[in-house]
This record gives sequence, C-alpha cells and structure tokens, in this order.
Amino acid sequence: MTTQLGGPATRALPASDPEPANRRERGTSVAGLAVKIVLLGLLVSFAVWAAFPLAQDEHWVGLGILVAATALLLYAYLTPRHIPAKYLLPGTVFLVIFQLFPVLYTAGTAFTNFGDGHRGSKQDAVVAIQTASVTQVPGSTEYALSIATTGDPATGGLVFLITDPATKKVSAGDGSGLKQLPAGDVTVTSSGKVTAARGYTVLTVGQASARSKEITEFAVPTAGGAIRSTGLSRAYEGKAGRAYDAATDSIRDTTSGKTWKADDGIGSFVAADGEKLAQGWKVNVGFANFTRALTDDSIAGPFLGTLVWNFIFAICSTGFTFLLGMFIAVALHSSRVRFRNLYRVLLVLPYAMPSFAMLLVWRDMFNTDFGLINNLLGIHTNWFGGAMTARIAVILVQLWLGYPYMFLVCTGALQAIPGELVDATKVDGAGAWKGFRAVTLPLLMIALTPLLISSFAFNFNNFNAIWLTTEGAPFPADNLTNGATDLLITYTYRLAFGASGAQYGFAAAISIFIFLIVAVVSTISFRRTRQQEEVYS
Amino acid sequence: MRIRTAGVIAASLLCLVGVAACGDKKEDSTTAGPQASAATGELVIWADDKRSAALKPFAEKFGKENGVTVKVQAISKDQQTTFLTASQQGSGPDVMVGAHDWIGNLVQNGAIDPVQLTAEQKSGIAANAIKAVTFNGQTYGVPYATENLGLIRNTELAPAAPATIEDLVKEGKKLKAAKKVSEILCLQVGQNGDAYHSYPLYSSAGGYLFGTNAQGDYDPKDLGVGKPESIAAFKKLAALGEKGDGALKRSISDQNSIATFTGKKCAYLVSGPWAVTDVKKANLKYDITAVPGFAGGKTATPFLGVQTFYVAAKGKNKALAQEFVTNYVTTPDLAVALYNAEPRPPALTAALDQVKGSDPDLEKWVTAGENAVPLPAIPAMAAIWDPFGKAESAVIGGADPEKTITAAGKTISSQIK
Amino acid sequence: MTRWIKQVGWRHLVAVLGVVFALVPLLFVLSAALNPLGTLSSTELLPTGASAENFSRLLGRTGFPHWFLNSVVIAGLASAASVFLSALAAYAFSRRRFAGRRVGLLSLLLIQMFPQFLAVVAIFLMFSTITDLWPAFGFNTWWGMIFLYLGGALGVNTWLMKGFYDTIPKELDESAYVDGASHSQIFFRILLPLVSPILAVTGLLAFIGTINEFLIANVFLTEGDSKTLAVGLYGLIAGSRDTNFGMFCAGTLLTAIPTVGVFMYLQRYIVEGLSAGAVKG
Repeated sequence: MTTQLGGPATRALPASDPEPANRRERGTSVAGLAVKIVLLGLLVSFAVWAAFPLAQDEHWVGLGILVAATALLLYAYLTPRHIPAKYLLPGTVFLVIFQLFPVLYTAGTAFTNFGDGHRGSKQDAVVAIQTASVTQVPGSTEYALSIATTGDPATGGLVFLITDPATKKVSAGDGSGLKQLPAGDVTVTSSGKVTAARGYTVLTVGQASARSKEITEFAVPTAGGAIRSTGLSRAYEGKAGRAYDAATDSIRDTTSGKTWKADDGIGSFVAADGEKLAQGWKVNVGFANFTRALTDDSIAGPFLGTLVWNFIFAICSTGFTFLLGMFIAVALHSSRVRFRNLYRVLLVLPYAMPSFAMLLVWRDMFNTDFGLINNLLGIHTNWFGGAMTARIAVILVQLWLGYPYMFLVCTGALQAIPGELVDATKVDGAGAWKGFRAVTLPLLMIALTPLLISSFAFNFNNFNAIWLTTEGAPFPADNLTNGATDLLITYTYRLAFGASGAQYGFAAAISIFIFLIVAVVSTISFRRTRQQEEVYS
Repeated sequence: MRIRTAGVIAASLLCLVGVAACGDKKEDSTTAGPQASAATGELVIWADDKRSAALKPFAEKFGKENGVTVKVQAISKDQQTTFLTASQQGSGPDVMVGAHDWIGNLVQNGAIDPVQLTAEQKSGIAANAIKAVTFNGQTYGVPYATENLGLIRNTELAPAAPATIEDLVKEGKKLKAAKKVSEILCLQVGQNGDAYHSYPLYSSAGGYLFGTNAQGDYDPKDLGVGKPESIAAFKKLAALGEKGDGALKRSISDQNSIATFTGKKCAYLVSGPWAVTDVKKANLKYDITAVPGFAGGKTATPFLGVQTFYVAAKGKNKALAQEFVTNYVTTPDLAVALYNAEPRPPALTAALDQVKGSDPDLEKWVTAGENAVPLPAIPAMAAIWDPFGKAESAVIGGADPEKTITAAGKTISSQIK
Repeated sequence: MTRWIKQVGWRHLVAVLGVVFALVPLLFVLSAALNPLGTLSSTELLPTGASAENFSRLLGRTGFPHWFLNSVVIAGLASAASVFLSALAAYAFSRRRFAGRRVGLLSLLLIQMFPQFLAVVAIFLMFSTITDLWPAFGFNTWWGMIFLYLGGALGVNTWLMKGFYDTIPKELDESAYVDGASHSQIFFRILLPLVSPILAVTGLLAFIGTINEFLIANVFLTEGDSKTLAVGLYGLIAGSRDTNFGMFCAGTLLTAIPTVGVFMYLQRYIVEGLSAGAVKG
C-alpha cells in the first residue's frame, strides 16, 4: 500500500517537541497573529461580559469555573506547547457542557427514584400537600379583593382590602388580622373593588402582579382559618386540611386526625395502614433500579430476543445503506456521465426532507387497505401485522432514509482519493473491477470505517425509526410489552414512560445497561481500526 | 481555491464569534426590557399549537387591560411531560392548558394549585365538566370545553340513525355490497389499537376499567381489564373484527379514519367534534348521534374529555395566573373564541347558549355525550392506555380474546403500584 | 454501443433506478400537498389536483416564514461552526500523537451513544440557570440553540473527517514542516483545501441534521416566533387530532428547499480533480 503512495512509511509528527530557537518564526505570520489576537480578545471580553451576572447573583463557584476555564484557554493558546490541545479545546468545551454534563446527570438519576410523584425535594412535597388541602371554610363569605400597601407600592407592607358583597363594608387585613374601615375613608365601585382608601395605596394589576409571590403566600388570620387571595380581585376564607409537623416529621389531617409519617427510604409519607400520599420526593435508592431491571421477568425475559433483533436492525440499516450508497456513488464517479449533478440533487432529496415527517408518510404507505405500496403492487399484505414483514418494512424505510447519506459520504470520499492512484491502475491495464477492489475500496474503507462504526451506534439506538413507524408492532397476544420490531431503546421508553407515568430513574438504569452493551461492541470493533490507521503512521 | 475555503471558514467563524459578541451587547440593552416588564408582571401561558393561536389575541387583550405582559407559547409534543419537567426546574409557565385527565399526575407531582371558584361561577359551568376537574375534593382548574365521541353519519348514504351496532353493521354491509362504500365503519383502531375510541363499544359490551369506591371515585385496586366481563366484551369486539364482520380493522387509524369518511368511502364515522371541520369542508350532508351500543347490551358510554386551564404551582406569577384563570377564563368571550378556533362545545353554559344558535351540531354533541363518563383522572389510568390498545388491536386482528385480555390485565396491574 | 453500455450506460441505469426509489415517496408527498383536502388516505401516487391552497394557507396563516428563517439561521451557523470545530479536532486525532488520543476518540463515540431522550431533564436544569443569568443564550434564543447543537459537533463529524485526513499521505505535511511551516499553516493552507470535498459533505450533513432536529428543539423553543421548521411542522399535525396533512406535506417540501440550496452551493466543492491537483502541486 505505502509504496503505491510514492513514499516511505513515515512517523507521525512529534506531539510536543519544544520549538527550536532558530524556528521562532513558525506560526508567526502577521495575519495569523492578528487573527489570534482578535479571537483571544473576543474570548476575554466574552468572559468578562459573562462574569457580571454571575457576580451580581453571587454565584462564586460559577465565577470561579468561568475564570479558571478562561485562564486555561488563554494558556493553551499562548503557550507554544500542547499543540493537540489547541485543536481539541474549542469543540471539547461545548462537548463537556452540552453533552457530557447531561449524560452524567442522567446516569446519576439511575440511582434515584426520580419520576412522576418523586420529582422534587421533600420541602416541595410538603408545600404541595398543604396547598392542595386548603379548602374554603363551609358557609364563609366570598369577598371582593383589592390589593393595597402602606406606603410605596413596590416595597410597602401588603394589605388586603376586602369588601363584603352583601353589605359593601370594607375591611383591611394584614398579618395581624382584620380591621373594618370607616365607610367615609374608602371609595368602592359597584363590583366591590376599592379604588381609593385613606392611609393605603391601592395597587394596579401591574403593580400587584410584581409582588405576586407575596400575595399568594399572604394570609390574614381569622377565627375559622385565614383569608387568602384567589387571583387579584377575590378573596375567600380558607383552611388548610393537612399540616406538616416538623417535630414528628409527619403530615396530619386536621379533621380526621390521621397521620402519614415521612419515609426517607422511599420518599413518601406513609400512614400506619400503608396508605401513601401521592406527593412524594426524590431520594437515593442505590442499586434498586438496576436489580429491578435484572430481576423483573417482563424486562429480563424478552431481553435476549430484542437484543438479537436490535443487532440485526443496526447491522442491516448500516450495511444496506452503505452498499447501496457506495454503489451509486461509484456509478456516478465518472466524468463521462452526463446530468451527473442533476442525478446527485435528486438522490439527495430523501435526505433533505425532515426524517420524522417521512417516517410518518412511510407508515401510511404500508397501510394494508389504503397504503400506496399494497396499491401499487396489487397485494394485500398486512405489513406491520406480521413479525417478518414488519421487520422487512422498517429496514426498507431505513434504506430509503439512509442511502443518500452514504451516497454523499462515498462521493466525497471518492473525490478525496488522489486521482493518480486510480489512474495508475488504469495504466497498469487492470480491469475496472479489479482496480476498484485493489485501490479504491481499501482507501474508501479507511475513510469510512470510523463512520460505519458510528453509524452502527446511531442505528442501534435509532428511536424514531421504530417509534414513528411501527411503535414496536406487531405484539404477540400474550406479551403486550415487547413487540417484534422493538429496539431496546423503544422498549425502554415504553417501560419508562408508557405506563404509570415517567420513571426516569428506572429508564436511566436500563439506558446504562444498553450503553454498556453498545460500548463493548463498539470498543471491540474500534480496536480493529488501529491496523488500518497504522498503514499510514 | 485553497485560500478561498480557508477564508470562508475563517470568516464564518469570525462572524459567529463576532455576532455573538455584538449580539450580547445588543441583548444587554434589551434585557432591561424583559426585566422591566417582569417588574410590572409577566404571565406565561402554555398550550398546544391550535389553542395557543386562538388564545393569543385574548391573552394580549387581558395584558393590555391590566398593564401586564402576556406570552402565549405553544408546546407541540408531550405537553404534560414537558410541563412537569420545566416546572420542576423553574422554567415552566404560569398557566397551562390541557386535558383534565392529567390532573392526577399533575397533583402527585405538585405541579398545579387548586382554584377557588365561587358557587356562582361553578353553576355557570356544565356540571359534568366541573365533576371532571374535581379531584380529591378540590377543583383543579377551569374547564372551557368538553368533548366526547359520537357517531357521525353520512345522511345521503345512511338516512336513518342505527339503534344498535348490529343495525349499523347490517346497513354498512348492504352499502358495501352495493359498492357505495368500501368500509362498513370508520372507527380508528390502528396498528397498536386505540383505547379511547373503542371504549364506547367495550362499555356497551359490559366491560369496565376501574370500579368505583363508596365516594364514587375510581378505585385503582379494582381493575376491570382481565375480568370475565372484559373477556366477554372483547369477544364481541372480535366478532366485529377482521376475522368476523370486518367492521373494525387495523388499517383504519387516526391518520385516515376521518379522511376515509370525508372521501365517502364509509357511511359511519366514530369521532369527536374535532372531525366536523373536515366533514364540513368536504360538503357532506351529515348528522351526529350517540355511538350505538350492542343489541341487548348496556348503553355505550364514550369518555368525556374536558379541556382545562391550570394554575401552575411553581409559576413565577401565581397571583396573576389565578386572576386570569378564575376571573377571565370564566367569561364567555374567551370560550366563544376558543370554540371558533375548534368547534368543541364550550363548558360555560353562557358561551354554549351564545353559539349553539348558529351551530346546531353543538346540541347534538352534548346529546351524544349525555351518557359520557369523565376520563378517569387517577394516575393509574396511565397504565391502561398502551396495553389496552394493543390488546384491542390484537383481538381485532384475530387473536384469542381470552389469552390476550388476561395478558393485558396482568401487564396493567403490574404497573399499578 | 456495448462499450458505451459497459462504461457509461450502466451508470445511467443505476442512477435512474436510484432516483426512482428516491422519488416515489416524495411524489406521494407532493400529491398530498397539492390536494386541497390534504389527506394521506388518497392513495393516488400522481397528483389528482393542482391547488396551491395548502401552500398559501401555510405561508399566510402559520408562522412558517418565521420558522423558515430561524431554521436557516440556526442550521447555517451551527453547521458551519460545527464543521470548523470538528475539522480542528480531526486534525489533532489524525496527525498528532498524544497521550489519550485513542481514548479520546472512543469517548467521542461512546458519549453520543447514550440515549438522548433522557437528556431533556438535564437540559432544562442547565438552561433554567442560563436563562436567568444570560437571557441572550437562554431558552427561545438562536444562540442558546446553536450552542446546544455545538455540543454534538465533535460527535460523528470528527470521526468522519479523521477518516479522510487518514487517507491523505503524511509526507505532504512532513515536507511542509521541514520547509518551516507552522502547524497552523499546515492545517489551514495544506490540509483543509485537500479535504474540501469532505468539508462540503460534512457541512451538508450537519446542516441537514440540524434543520431536522426535533426532540431538543421542541422543548427548547416554545415561543411561537422562535420555533424551527421541524417543531412548527410537527405542531401542525400534533396540535390537533384532525390531521392537517396537506399543509404538513407542503411544509415538508418547502423545508427541503434550503437543504437543496446548500447542496447546490456546496456541490462545486465536491468536484473531481480538486484534490488530485493539490496533491500534484
């Protein structure tokens, strides 16, 4: 191979040899220097700009990270050492923030009971329980409400001016209780709204809504409970039916006297009779999600079958699209073909369409009675009804969606192969096919093997391909959770979100299992790329 | 060429960084805007695409009248999950618009607050709608529209309303034999079934989902799927399926059931008020009646769905949200506007009275929904949809009802904790 | 004649068959887009009517023009920046030998294998803070969206480009190095022009990937005018149960226009002889 390239095998460039003194001029062309200065200047000004809100909100940790990251970047580009880092850093910064962090965060949730009913903190749960239990005191009056303050609208103490609808009498309420106002001191509209009151500033809706949080939490104590607001123009006398008692760490129902004690192991308030309050909180559950995935029959049982099909799907999706894409690319890789550019545009069209839209269209085309495919072919196959036909159908859809991609990549790869290599085989008089096999294909494979691996990885987890077409169908009558075209990821998705709400923690645990499988397979195939790489190293 | 490529890339990168920097400066000055408006109050409302479009002018009017900013944002997919996740992280809206059967799940996640409606306001809203949004004794939102399934009939093909499913199938077969239609009935099943659309037939055949306890609330421990009644019901569905009469078919799905009806390929369509827009556009003569039940069976009860405005518990401006939901949504104007965007019967009696004169269909939908039962709002209902639908589709495709439903019952009960 | 068939004719045959396979479903979409009733139950492959109603409704009554602009700007900037970032990284992976090189490559692959549908929670967590601190990069902004997409820039594209760099003989840069060129001069002046076909391909792929991205954009862009084409179009059919497929199909077709435009523009970089000439020089 290397001899054909016309030169001896050479070593890679040294990574970090210190620049010799007599080569100082390396990398110091005026334009290059100017670009460097401008970019680094922008980086610094960006960092300064970003620092202000952090300092303002006293996010000292965030500020520290920002300073450290900026310093690191400046160091990397000002020192002559660490050349690879100069090329890797820009992308890595984004990768760490927007990909690595979400992945690690998700992996972290695998050890919690995070999901519906257990999303927030214990404090959140207590607030939710109390808020949900506030009911109107039976037979109490519904008042018209005006929000007022003593003094400045933005900072003065809040006062509720409430009007009894029957008597039109106005009372002022604050944290200490209610006090009736003399009729002469207030101006009341027919609907009961107070427009002016001596000694108080009546707020406009805009002013009041700026203090929304205070108003929602504001309660004027009364004998039967407390007067609370409903929005900004009505008030009612309400009473919380359930209260949290910090001393016993439990919730108590004020009317029935029943108590629910906090169980920090499962993140729920549990009564003596085993009844759980719906509002729970997020707690650490250790490896419970992992053991559940391994021991639950409905998950562990069909796992192997799904895994095998998952591999077949990923291999066929990648393999067929590659073969077809490459074949067409090779066919068009000749300047003697007229209309080449037109062909290329038309061939790229399937890829240019939004894939989720086309998946939905294909799903319709496979319809038994109304679908285009059965109509064109004059057959009556229930494509998604049988395991085999459904699998063929989804792979066919993948082929259609994916081959333009492979076509494009192969076209690019073919162009990048130095022309004289191909010419050389022609001079040698080798047959077209032989030349292709001996020169073009190996070079193509060098360029494309990494891509095929990552394409395989993508298809292994190709959620949309299944979810938007068959949704996993067909399902055997005695097992409605695992369909013939289900991939591990769609199956996980259904387990996690399809029933009794979202179970993020559990889904994350299964994702980690899937991840490990794909990672092992990819790592093994990745090792094989080393030999190809070494051809040139 | 070389320089050009490098130049293009360098320029685009510079552009990116440069514009980012300039953009920041510009945004810096404009951030004063949103912050200033936050000081006077901002209300964020989330709804699906269609409703957010209809809401926009009214929300803006509300904002102008009260000197606040109102933003209506559309969430296209997974509204409930997105709302829950966003709320939890503090990026959620102040008001959420959605179906009433979310309530159970929203409450257990502490995502919505109860609303206190006056007795007068409550009496102005259809009783079954108020019942639907009541959960654990609290009212959790303000209903603005109701919806239920009915039988839409092409009166040119089928002049008389069928009294029973058997009559419908007989008439449909006649029309099919006469080559006037190609399908007996358009009731969406799809590859993975559709529990919502099959429920009227299931209930008429004697099946139930959850039993009710002494207070009349659904009891998640009494699961009806997998019980003998449900097996008997599915045997009846199987008789209508692909191996039987062929009235129920998996090839009829949410994508094509309405279109098949408007294309005059079937005379009967089981669907809801949302289908009427298309039916009218196709210039069909039609009538709306209740979904018929099986001869000698129980009444077919469709589900009643109630579109609801919720106050988000973790919203930034709850007082204003409460004000909007309890005192503005309860006015007929908004309900009428939402009706104009999509013809579902308004839940506000005053709004219904206002529009029913110009739209005789509304009365028919309400009549068709007389026996409707509110969709169970308990969190356990989430476990029903998927297995129930798949079992339905399998049975209609010819699978053994007993085996299938027993499996479905097992799947569901294992999911209900 | 047989010679022509052997050398050129079969190429046309392959191309035509490929084009037919590509176009049949698209014709179907076109026919639905032109059908004013706009339903996909019409099984006719060829358009039965020619009405622009779906198109005019789409342009007049929805936020389509906004979506279009957003998509083009976001996808354009994000893909350009992403190609540049991954070209840089691929250079380091292909030409430099440093500790952690293969581990780095493998990690790039593995990170993107983690199921994305669970990442939404983390994204909310992160951007809630960002929106509070720097609203210019928060939810519903171009920059926030672009930066989020750049998180994936090193993924597939780096692998793709590294593969291509590997096919370029190393002695090219070696000799330049001996001549006194710095690493940045080798990269910008020698390597980048050589791989320009693949830069164009990668740019196109990144553009298509970004313009079609739906899952993340759906939760990130909620403000009506900030939506992208994919999110907006999905809203047309998901927002209500009456399926607006005609308009949806019309939108799908229009969405392909910027992509095809980018392809046409980049196609001149994907021309033969370019790299061959460079190697000779």
